[in-house]
Amino acid sequence: MNELFYIDALRERFLMKDFDEQVYEITAQEIVDYATACGEMAPRYTDPGHPEFQAPPTFPTSFHPGRRLPEGFPNLPGLGMDAGKAVAPKAPIRPGVKLTGRTHLHDLYVKTGRSGRMTFMVTRMEIYDPAGTQLATADTRIVIREKPEA
Amino acid sequence: MTIQHVSEVEFGVELPVFEPDTSLENVRRFVVAARWDGPRFTDHEAARKEGLPGALVPGIMSQGFLSAMIHRWAPEAFIENVDTVFRAPVLVDEPYRIAGVVTDIDELSGRVEIDLTVTNEKGETRVFGTATIRLPA
Repeated sequence: MNELFYIDALRERFLMKDFDEQVYEITAQEIVDYATACGEMAPRYTDPGHPEFQAPPTFPTSFHPGRRLPEGFPNLPGLGMDAGKAVAPKAPIRPGVKLTGRTHLHDLYVKTGRSGRMTFMVTRMEIYDPAGTQLATADTRIVIREKPEA
Repeated sequence: MTIQHVSEVEFGVELPVFEPDTSLENVRRFVVAARWDGPRFTDHEAARKEGLPGALVPGIMSQGFLSAMIHRWAPEAFIENVDTVFRAPVLVDEPYRIAGVVTDIDELSGRVEIDLTVTNEKGETRVFGTATIRLPA
């Protein structure tokens, strides 16, 4: 099958459809340890007594979905690597609040460079509080680098 | 000097560099808090058995260092977005420099764009990315 047509078919079938849902709850101590280990000094991340105490903005990238890709997604040939992460906080994440993370495949594209063809997959987790307010999005980029022909 | 308002930010300014704590003990504390605990992050020997050059600082911890650098420079900054690319491994117990440079300022919205890097002692970039922050007018 033509490569571009194949990617288009995968996009049509899998993009923007939630394939995983997990519940998370973090403690004040986890927030403090995460923040101080990273070198945060702002009391709203390091002092549980602070009136605006909350998780540091990059905390959502630590949440694991139950599965990395949608059920039925094909094994693409090549070597898979974590190519990066992005996070967009929207509202504070507080300790002891039940969080729901819903994950979908957000983008899928191919790049061809000197080292060969690479397929990029971006999964996005959207994190909500019990009232349904979106608190953050966290993206994971996976790149599949095709094995060079022998 | 710390930044409180967007009017204090100058285009091209470099944020104060900081050297993060990449000790095994600190990385262990981080991965337990993040629920990412595993030998590839906390045990050099186990990591080498996996074919890695040594225990790794997780990419999400490098992202945390970058965000901490922003707050050290502008304690009240609201981080709207941090996007990082993990180009090469960051190793436990090795020194790194966490750096940033202002690349765009929008005084009307209070938004500031920052280019971010994590470099090793040889000056090699291991992680790079961008952040958008918002500051009060």
